[in-house]
Amino acid sequence: MDRDTRDMLLETADRFFTQRCGREVVNGVEKGAWPADLWKEIEEMGLPLIAVPEDKGGVGGTLGDMLALLRLAGSHAVPVPLAETALANLLIAAAGGEPKPGPVTLALGNLQLSGGRLSGKVERVPFASVADRFVALVGGTLAVVAKSNARIEATPSHAGEPYGSVTFDNAAAEFSAASPLSAERAFELAAVMRAMQMAGAADKVLATAVEYSKQRVQFGRSISTFQAIQHMLAELASCVAATIASAEAAARDADEGGLLHGGRFSIAAAKSQASEFAQRIAAISHQSMGAMGFTHEHILHHYTRRLWVWRRDFGSETFWGEKIGQAYAKAGPDALWAALSASKYAA
Amino acid sequence: MSIPKLEFPPFHLPAEAEALRVEVRAFLKEMLPRVKTEDRFASWNTRSAEFSKAMGKKGWIGITWPKQYGGSERTFLDRYVITEELLGNSAPAGAHWVADRQSGPLLLRFGSEEQRQAILPRITAGECYFSIGMSEPDSGSDLASVRTRAEPVPGGFRVNGTKVWTSGAHHNHYCIALVRTSGQHGDRHKGLSQILVDLKTPGVTIRPIINLAGRHDWNEVTFNDAFIPESCLIGNEGDGWLQVTSELAFERSGPERFMQNFYILRELVRVLGRQPAKRASAILGRLVARLWTLRQMSVAVAGMMQGGKSPAIEAALVKDLGTIYQQDLPEIARTIVESDATTEDDLADFLDIAQYATMMAPSYTIQGGTTQVLRGIVARGLGLR
Repeated sequence: MDRDTRDMLLETADRFFTQRCGREVVNGVEKGAWPADLWKEIEEMGLPLIAVPEDKGGVGGTLGDMLALLRLAGSHAVPVPLAETALANLLIAAAGGEPKPGPVTLALGNLQLSGGRLSGKVERVPFASVADRFVALVGGTLAVVAKSNARIEATPSHAGEPYGSVTFDNAAAEFSAASPLSAERAFELAAVMRAMQMAGAADKVLATAVEYSKQRVQFGRSISTFQAIQHMLAELASCVAATIASAEAAARDADEGGLLHGGRFSIAAAKSQASEFAQRIAAISHQSMGAMGFTHEHILHHYTRRLWVWRRDFGSETFWGEKIGQAYAKAGPDALWAALSASKYAA
Repeated sequence: MSIPKLEFPPFHLPAEAEALRVEVRAFLKEMLPRVKTEDRFASWNTRSAEFSKAMGKKGWIGITWPKQYGGSERTFLDRYVITEELLGNSAPAGAHWVADRQSGPLLLRFGSEEQRQAILPRITAGECYFSIGMSEPDSGSDLASVRTRAEPVPGGFRVNGTKVWTSGAHHNHYCIALVRTSGQHGDRHKGLSQILVDLKTPGVTIRPIINLAGRHDWNEVTFNDAFIPESCLIGNEGDGWLQVTSELAFERSGPERFMQNFYILRELVRVLGRQPAKRASAILGRLVARLWTLRQMSVAVAGMMQGGKSPAIEAALVKDLGTIYQQDLPEIARTIVESDATTEDDLADFLDIAQYATMMAPSYTIQGGTTQVLRGIVARGLGLR
């Protein structure tokens, strides 16, 4: 979609999330309530189909449009699998399938597929307990399995989202087809998706901490006037800025470089950075907000806990760091600058 | 909530700039083998008149300036690519660095026609070098408190006072000094002016200040009734503060704020060998990712500046993060190498190199605006002060 259309969609979605994803909804999900109305409205807006072509019933946006929407969703802690479903639907459509309504999640892991039947176990599948179906990629084949054919053990994430482990035991796929995207590529797209959600959450943490510092009065003045607090929040801003800049650069490279290969290195670097900064962002924001920010009552933890969970999802800084480090070491010192300045894995 | 959004819109360096990169790399490949290894480690602190002249011949100093002053009227982004290639390849670009980055642009913007014609072509030829005359013994971060006084006298100014941390003054031709031309010491921003000082002027004395690494980069420059002709006033009398703050903006978000010790990362890759252990790979990869992010931020700022914006807060954020990365780099690298170097000799060589980088590290978060000054700027941008 063109820039104006995207901006309009983001504006509408921003208003919608502000009204409909308040504290009670996010807390409700943590207590095990599935916000069916919210999901229905999100589907009515077409958001889970944002990157599905129009001829497959989608909105016809690009990967870039989808990632911009998910950054926004991250800044509202949207407690439903919008990100997972949007990416799963993109993958299904790319493999020639037609996405169906209902929440879908990604079961990306070490699985076997033979004769249209899926076997194996994937840990920490986001929204495993509320998804209608699972998308898996094995070798070059995409498989969609209904929840009735999977065994789900609920293990909520530390952010209270309904994560779980999913076991497929010779499970019949309701759809399977050759995928132009490899399993590795699907994992990369999931990583840039999380990096963008983290950018959104980080942005919200900064805004929350800054606003709090202006309102909180101690020793007769708002704490934002103390230099100690100003410097903490400036450091927080630098961590948030780095998270946003790296995620946006990776999203741009993934989008412009094409669905199959775009931004491979940038995604690895951005997820490594976002994951690395998550701790500093959580630590400084909590320190600046004292006991108030540590309560369940306050919304800060909706974002800091998600940052802690998301930094592990689809590869932590250690996972992506190792990949980058191995490639750069293998290519040797004289290839370092050429690769880095071209945003590429060294070769 | 209404706090200013921090945005670093991803920016592509344009094709012309990338084409220039190829030329610069070819040039460096030819020039650099002649430079001593230990000099390359100091990069923008290492001076080579021969190298600067060769850069000048290529037209790569003052590349954005008008042709009439020896420039090539190319973009700020072309300059960006040259700068990062010099740092990425550890080229000895120290002699002309300050003139190219800030003194030339300052003269171009505020200088008289006579000053521009007399000086800019010599800078672009790689033959004229500049020092920065801002800090004084009693004025560091609080620059508006400078005491050096330029007393108007017939035909010019009589200057008295002391500048410190004046890098390269013992080699350079000129210094642009921030001085008080009217009013009292307590007047702060009012009554300050910038003057162009020929460092050979009688009454100007240059003495070395040796830094903790034993290097003589810095100097103390003393003015003792030095006569500076009226023609050397830069811009309007009393506009010094406005001019100096615009000069500082040139200093902040460039690649020298995170690539000054790039060679440490390169040497780390060398010493780890082609198949490092998992933990070492992960730490190396995280460092690469961190540097890549800084580069994306800095390129985004360059893109905004080329687009006519003045992203002062974003520039301050790049310098804050970049200089801290540079400070962390030798420490993190040393820790991995101590456990993962492939041979004892490699380890010893690396530790020698890292030792120098460790000693230089405190300077990164001080020069060009301390971390604390930068955080003050960011805090103001966040609406906290």
